[in-house]
Amino acid sequence: MLLSLIIFLPLWYALIVALLPDKNWIRPVSLVLSLLHFGLSAVLFYRFDPSTASLQLVERASWMPSFGVNYFVGIDGISFWLVLLSTFLTPLVVLGSWTAIDEKVRSFHVCLFLLLTSMVGTFLAMDAILFYVFFEASLIPMYFLVGVWGGPRRLYATMKFFIYTMAGSLFMLVAIIALIFMAQEQLGQMSASVLDFYKLNIPFVAGEFLNTQTLLFFAFAVAFAIKVPMFPVHTWLPDAHVEAPTPGSVILAAVMLKMGTYGFMRFVLPIFPEASEYFATFFMILGTIGIVYGALVAMVQPDIKKLVAYSSVSHMGYIMLGLFAFNIYGATGGLYQMLNHGISTGALFLLVGMVYERTHSRQIAEYGGLAKVAPIFAIVFLIVTFSSIAVPLTNGFIGEFLILLGGFQANRIITAVAVLGVILGSVYMLWAVKRMFFGEVAGVVKDHAEEGLEMGTREMIVMAPLVLLIFWMGIFPSDFLNWSKASLDHFIENRTHYELNLDESL
Amino acid sequence: MMDIQIGFIDFLLVAPALALFLFSCIPLLIKVLRGNRESNMFATLVYGYMGLVTAFGFLVPTMGTERTALQGALIFDGISSFTSLIVLMVTGVALTYARDSRSTNARQFTEMVFLLLNCSVGMLTMIWANDLIVMFVGLELFSLCLYMLIALSLEEKVSKEAAFKYFILGSFASAILLYGISFIYGTVGTTAMPDVMQAAPNLLGTNRLFLIGFILLILGVGFKISLFPFHAWAPDVYQGSPTPLTGYMATGVKAVSIGFLLRLLSSQAFTVERFWPFVDALQWLTVLTILVGNVGAFRQKSLKRMLAYSSIAHSGYVVIGLIAAGIGGASMLGASGVLFYVLAYSLMTIGAFGVVHLLEVQADTDLTVADLRGLGSQKPVLAITLTILLLSLAGIPPTLGFFGKFFIFSAAVKQGLTWLAVWGVVGSIISVYYYLRPVVAMYMEEPLFSRATLDLRPMSYFLVAVLAFAVLAFGLASEAIVGYAAALL
Repeated sequence: MLLSLIIFLPLWYALIVALLPDKNWIRPVSLVLSLLHFGLSAVLFYRFDPSTASLQLVERASWMPSFGVNYFVGIDGISFWLVLLSTFLTPLVVLGSWTAIDEKVRSFHVCLFLLLTSMVGTFLAMDAILFYVFFEASLIPMYFLVGVWGGPRRLYATMKFFIYTMAGSLFMLVAIIALIFMAQEQLGQMSASVLDFYKLNIPFVAGEFLNTQTLLFFAFAVAFAIKVPMFPVHTWLPDAHVEAPTPGSVILAAVMLKMGTYGFMRFVLPIFPEASEYFATFFMILGTIGIVYGALVAMVQPDIKKLVAYSSVSHMGYIMLGLFAFNIYGATGGLYQMLNHGISTGALFLLVGMVYERTHSRQIAEYGGLAKVAPIFAIVFLIVTFSSIAVPLTNGFIGEFLILLGGFQANRIITAVAVLGVILGSVYMLWAVKRMFFGEVAGVVKDHAEEGLEMGTREMIVMAPLVLLIFWMGIFPSDFLNWSKASLDHFIENRTHYELNLDESL
Repeated sequence: MMDIQIGFIDFLLVAPALALFLFSCIPLLIKVLRGNRESNMFATLVYGYMGLVTAFGFLVPTMGTERTALQGALIFDGISSFTSLIVLMVTGVALTYARDSRSTNARQFTEMVFLLLNCSVGMLTMIWANDLIVMFVGLELFSLCLYMLIALSLEEKVSKEAAFKYFILGSFASAILLYGISFIYGTVGTTAMPDVMQAAPNLLGTNRLFLIGFILLILGVGFKISLFPFHAWAPDVYQGSPTPLTGYMATGVKAVSIGFLLRLLSSQAFTVERFWPFVDALQWLTVLTILVGNVGAFRQKSLKRMLAYSSIAHSGYVVIGLIAAGIGGASMLGASGVLFYVLAYSLMTIGAFGVVHLLEVQADTDLTVADLRGLGSQKPVLAITLTILLLSLAGIPPTLGFFGKFFIFSAAVKQGLTWLAVWGVVGSIISVYYYLRPVVAMYMEEPLFSRATLDLRPMSYFLVAVLAFAVLAFGLASEAIVGYAAALL
């Protein structure tokens, strides 16, 4: 019951918000509801057993039995933190958008709650069709978030975002259907359960493109690679991020991109072990190109939001590198980096949004000496920057270090190139910080100095948990990793014949 | 001299059509008796509804049975009862729209209702037909009614052209169809469908005349579902017709034509080796239908034209299911998927045309995408309704349209037609762009003009909202519907 509540209660929140009589109540009510929801999802800490790799808190109900499609949700160490990340960020986004979103407030919060349902549903669904429904449904609220509350080129950006993602995932739908029938052949009955997909023996011929496993592998991999986004199909991301309103950027970067990497961990690597291994180098190279290319493009961006967007391409490249290294360091680092990226990039977008709200400028060149006018803001920004460029004692360090450790074991040359990204990352972030925060008070900072560019109390409350997490995750990573350890060990040890058991006791 | 006996049960079986016909005559009779003066429009509408309700009442008890009536001229089985339900439903919706639409509700409304109900009689006849001649009579009946209905429109600019174009091309297609039937009659010696079906597997392999006749028969019906290359009439006719009738035509005609094609499949023709080249050709026609429909819709400004092209594309998706069902020997999965898709398509298409007609300010308004600007803030309920319907047409979960595509693609993959499913996917990707354009206009662009004076007719407004809700709710209950269709088959 718990997982279904976590998935579907936000639909009721959306209804409550839609029916509220007084417009002034919308923000407080949304905040309370989303905090309550985070509290509800925190019950997982008590109910989830980290000592086993089995699927827990499983719920099943018959949905479309003639196709073997069921309502089937469950949680394990891989999805555990991603669910909590989604529910944790929602109240922060509600609070963070308190003044940034000032028109169509009601629809905005309805979209936010619909998005929460589809995000959590994506991470918890253990039936491929159910997963697909949530995965696709998440596009609709995000499409409106960017299109309605976005910047001047929002129509182009939101359309591009929608069509790119949809294009990839429709091919995945055909692949899922093919797997359902393959389950009928091999297991005796049609099933869309991911656990049954793991049991399939999908014919693979190395060196040939047109064979069953390779085609199915690419149908899934392309869908998720677009979502991640990996190097050649990343172009929707900067457009969407730049045009999206701050809350949209935060959710997009922090949670929706993780649907792609989560898809690789849940579907691509375990269902197609031979093809994944065969194409591992190819994907590691693409990941590394993403790291270096993203960093280089970020370096020359005049627009701070676009800079953060390209840094996302770079960071997501690390995660892919870690996942395709096929060892425990890579996988652990990949999962950890998913959370890190969610927190640090989410925080960066929030900070950029805060300063943009006051100055209405995102051009780095128009800033200068912000640290003198807004010292607390500068400190927070610097901490988040350190997390983003993986300075030790922050969470980013643990993630990138583990990934590079894993990558080095798998392929030294590629990883050596990937390390360049660490240096380039510090270059573009610190350079931007230098230009915006230090030097003479100039440009828009000067124009708005009297109004006060310092963070308000509300904004400090938004940032405090994020800063806390950056250090907590950086200094005591095992507090977090222990919850996923059993699942990750199981994931790596049984990589070629991965299976998940149901833990019926819970 | 044959001794023709018509049993009581036969009357019961054909009663839906009789009821529609009788009730359609009442308002016309009243008008004649009152000296050709138009009577109260609402009263006329009520007679139409009474006819539909009576027809529905007679239809329900016969569902799930399998019998023939009138010496085997008509057949009542799963396909006919499922499709009949769709026909009655869209007729009811179209009647309501017709009363509310500015292009149909001024003069000659009585004639309109009369023709509309008899058009449905023709559709029912076609789908019940167990004899090729009876099928042809049904097809001609609804076609003739449609030509006149379109010409009756109060819109003066393009409706007459549309009616004439439809008439000329429709007659041409009827000729092809009849030509095919004559070939079949010449070889089999009968037009009774059970005999034709039984002879088909053998004759297709040995008799070239029969083969040609069979192909002509399929292509003749293909015109009605706007299969490539017989699609070119659709955009012009759909645009020129009054919107309530466009919705009616786009759904009812396609439902019965596809139902008839589905029935032809039980001849196992698609499993005959000699027929395979045609099946291959049909697969290509399907791909082209999907591409022409979707690419054509891409650049349309007029919403009605866009929906016309989209309806061409949807025909392509259905034919994927038909081919899959045919290759699988009228396989259950394909056939029930086709019926489900037809239902889904009918609900969302007639709903979308309903929204279009609600927004038409004058009889000759040709609503464009740009006219929708700012609807989201001006008429939020209507905007959400259209958004749901368009998302469903685009096949985005969790709407009905997604499950329709899921069943069709499943059937295709099951029969080894994955490449058709892939083309379907390519088409769907293209379609996302033009289905979302109205959504962009409604929510993300500023309004061009005030809609404060726009008078949304309550009955049509209520109906489109119900249809949108059904598209959402049926989506989650799709297993029950597809199971019901499978049980009927």
